[in-house]
This record gives sequence, C-alpha cells and structure tokens, in this order.
Amino acid sequence: MTADPAGRTGRTGRSGAWYGYLFVTPSLLGVAAFLLLPVLIVLGLSFFDWKLLSDPMFAGLENYRRLADDGAAWHSVWVTVLYVLLCVPLQTVLAMILALLLNQRVRGMRYYRALFVVPWMATPIVMGLTWNWIFDPRGGALNGALSLIGVTGPDWLSDPAWALPAVALVNVWQHTGYNMLFFLAGLQGIPSELHDAAATDGATPVQRFFRVTLPLLNPTMFFVTVTNLIGAFQIFDTIFVMTDGGPSGSTDVINFRIYNTAFKDFDFGYASTLSMLLFVIILVVTLAQVRFFGKRTTYDLS
Amino acid sequence: MTKRTLLYAALAVGAFLSVFPYLLVVLTAFKTRTQLNSTPPWLPAMPPTTANLAELLGGDFPHYIANTLLMTAALTAGQLVFTTFAAYAFARLRFRGREGLFWLYVATMMVPGAVTVIPLFLIMRQLGLVNTWWGLLLPYLLGTPYGIFLMRQFFRGLPASLEEAARIDGAGPLKILLRILLPLSRPALGTLAIITVISSWNNFLWPLIITSGDDTKVITVAIAGLKGGIGVDYNLMMAGGLIALVPMVAIFVFFQRYIIRSVVLTGLK
Repeated sequence: MTADPAGRTGRTGRSGAWYGYLFVTPSLLGVAAFLLLPVLIVLGLSFFDWKLLSDPMFAGLENYRRLADDGAAWHSVWVTVLYVLLCVPLQTVLAMILALLLNQRVRGMRYYRALFVVPWMATPIVMGLTWNWIFDPRGGALNGALSLIGVTGPDWLSDPAWALPAVALVNVWQHTGYNMLFFLAGLQGIPSELHDAAATDGATPVQRFFRVTLPLLNPTMFFVTVTNLIGAFQIFDTIFVMTDGGPSGSTDVINFRIYNTAFKDFDFGYASTLSMLLFVIILVVTLAQVRFFGKRTTYDLS
Repeated sequence: MTKRTLLYAALAVGAFLSVFPYLLVVLTAFKTRTQLNSTPPWLPAMPPTTANLAELLGGDFPHYIANTLLMTAALTAGQLVFTTFAAYAFARLRFRGREGLFWLYVATMMVPGAVTVIPLFLIMRQLGLVNTWWGLLLPYLLGTPYGIFLMRQFFRGLPASLEEAARIDGAGPLKILLRILLPLSRPALGTLAIITVISSWNNFLWPLIITSGDDTKVITVAIAGLKGGIGVDYNLMMAGGLIALVPMVAIFVFFQRYIIRSVVLTGLK
C-alpha cells in the first residue's frame, strides 16, 4: 500500500505540516508510552530477577535458562497450542459454511446474519459463567439434553480430557458468527461470471469452491485466521472463570500462567520472560501466515 | 425442495445455538435457588422471582454499573477524538515522517495485549496510578492503532475534490476536518464507537489487574467475584450476567448495521 493520489493532494502549505504533527501527537504519546515502552520494559525485565518487594537484580540469561528446564511452562505452551488447534480451524470452517449457506439467496438473510453475530458481543466473563452452567454435571443444560436421548454426559469441566475442548467450544461459539460476516462479504465480492465460466467448463460445485471461490477469498482468509490466532493465543477471561487452569493443569494456558507468575507469585522477571515467549510465538505464527498467504493471494479481481 | 428445507433447518439450528446461552441467562436470572435444581434449565421458573436482581441492584451493583458506564464513555470519547485527528493527519496532511510513523503504528498492532499487561502495570505503579481512574483509563484513552488504521482507510476513500473547494476558500485543516469530513464520517465513526463501547464494556484483564477497591470496580470484575461465593449460585451469577448483557444487546438491536459495517471498514469487502 503506497500513498494514493488522494493522500498526495493534501497541499496545505507550511501550516499543514504543523497541523499534521499537532493532530498526531496525542496518539503518538499513547503508542510510545503504552505500546512501545512496555515492549522494551518486558524485554529488559526478562533479564532481571525481580520479586517486586526487593530491588531488581540483573540476572543475564538466568530466566531463559530456567525457562528451558521449566516443564510446567512448556506444558502451558502445549496446552495453548492445543487450544488454538481446537478452536481456530473449527471456527473458521464453520464460519465459511455459514457464509456459503447465507450466500444462497436465503429469505430473511439479514435476520439470520444478525442472530449469528449476537454471540460476538457477549461479555466473555458472563459467557464463561453461562457455559459453566451449561456444562454443569448436575442440572446443566448439556447433560440434561444428553440424558433425554439416554446418554450420560461426562463431568465436562472437572474432567482433564474434556475441560480444554469445552473451553474451546465457548470460543468457537463466540467468534464463528463474526468471522462469517467477513467470509460473506468476501463471497459477495466475487463476480458471478467466474462461477458461471467454471460451471460451463464442467466444474462440479465442489471443484468450483476449491478452485475458484477459496483462492479468491485468500485476503479474507488471511485477515480472519491472523486475528483469530492472535486472539486465541492470548485466551484468558474464559479460563479465569471456567476452570482456573485446572483440572490438574489441563487448561493452564500460557497467558494464565503469565498472570499467576506476575500477580500471584509476584515474580515479575520470570513473568516477563514468559511474556517474551508468548510474543515470539505469536510473531512467528503471524509472519508464517504473511508468507503463506503472500504467495497465494491474487489481488484486484474486479 | 428438500435441499432448500435442509438449508433453512441448518440456519435455524445455527441461530438457535447462537441465541441459546443468552436465553439461558434470562431464564436462570429469574429462578430461586430451589427452582434452579427443580426445573430443567431450559424451562422458565413458575413463578419467576426478581429476588436475584433485587439482591444485586440493592447492593453495590449500581455503583459498579456507574463505574463501567463512566469507563466506557471516557474510553469511547477519547478513542473517537484522538483517532479522528491522527487518522486525518495520516490520510490527508503532509508532514515529514508521515509514512514511517504510520507503519510504526501498524507494527504496534501486532503487539499482543497479553504481553504489555505486566509493563503497563509497572508503569502505572511507578506513576502512583494503581487503583485509580487514570490508571484504569490511560492506556486506552489516546486512540488505538487499530482505530486509526480503520479511520485512515475511510478518509482515504473520500474524494479529495470535496476539500479542494474549501481549501481554495482559505479553510485550514481543522475547519476542513470539522466542517467537511466529519459530517461524511458518521457511518465510520459510528462503527468505531460501537466497537470501542463493546470492547471497553467487556474488558476484564486490565481492570482486574489495575483496580482493587470498590471505587473503580467494573462490572466484569464484580461478576467474576460472584463465582468466589459459597456454593454454586448460578441464579445470582446469571442475574449479574443479565445486567451486563442488557446494554450490549440494546446496542446490537439499535446499531446492528454499524457492526455489520465494521467488515467494510477493514477494506476487505
């Protein structure tokens, strides 16, 4: 994206530059003080031993050495990756299916679209508690419904095998509809002649989807998967109210561990090291996606 | 024909699953502790009770709601004002370092919120702002890079000829922004406002960390605190949830098109 002609016409003389700096200054203060400075601080602190009450002591790579041997921290990384794999592919595929369904000249499409987006705005804390109630083994809606068809449901959130999928399901519930909006907008931007041409050439609907639709949706797919992955790697709220990291550490995601290390153990140095680990993971995953989609994206189809 | 029926059946199931947890909040909020155990969760209480809501609203909840409203209003106002100015400068004004600065903003969009929480807390502690309104608001008050990015996209989409006439008449950048661009920006500003209201109202981790007393306690922290009580009072928790969700649902009903439009603003359409 380079400056377009509209951006160049801002010829406002010398005063224009002054206004430019003036208008940018408040947000620049915010970005510098609350985004850039924190990154520098967290990087710096990751080399310090600091339990908040004592003075920070330079520790070199000590925290990183500790991290290398910290089985519990790597367990958290593993749990986080599992969580991401449980929710992001599922909510992306479901969102795509919903968008394809809604794109078929459905009567009342606007109402369905609205209803699907409703979960997105729900307060995560509230919905964590609501799903606690749904998953409740005694009197909860899910096991109640299962017992109607003669199935005895597990003790979802107290079962180490089910707790993480259960929490992931809440995330899928919350984000599928909003993702669908992006796919639907993308689908509506594809000229129908392309489908008609492929159909004339004898392509089946499945071939048309994978050969025509999906490649043209690459920019949308990129945006949706990048934002969903970044969000899922930082999951905290629902873990906090639903499982508290348990049972037996099965939902102890990395962001929850960072929180506990800093604000329960007051070990700010090591918590910063864990934060750097999360930062690097998110950065690597995001850059990998930039490369993956960068090679495959065709722009300007209209 | 049957294919069409299947399509509508699938959509109906999806719509039901989307709404069901909200429905459960409403049903449960009006049950007594006894009814919670004696009626199936998907059936309403007979007779419904308002005791849960009365207990919360007769206690500290009005205060927490007021706090949350104040926080949401302040953050939304700050976001709209500072984002508009910065986005306008990036889209239309020429100054040295503009492009470099803008890409710096875009780069900071990649910084995960989870990573900055610890240093932000330490900065606020250094400034003596832990457990104060300023500590709660300051990190999000001056406009977010994401908002600036969205608004810049929008401003660049407006034809430059609009401003030419005003500029020839001698109008300065401030006047052009306020008189010409802002009236045209209502849809974009509406979308940005809605997104900010929802994310501020729902925010949990930062208020949890930076506030501890009742003076600045917001509703998400208060509701999470209901879980710590004795036993499993889902009726009370769902009453708290109902209080938190009603404003969000109201916003959705009245401003739905702004949310749908947020997709357009990202420039992906």
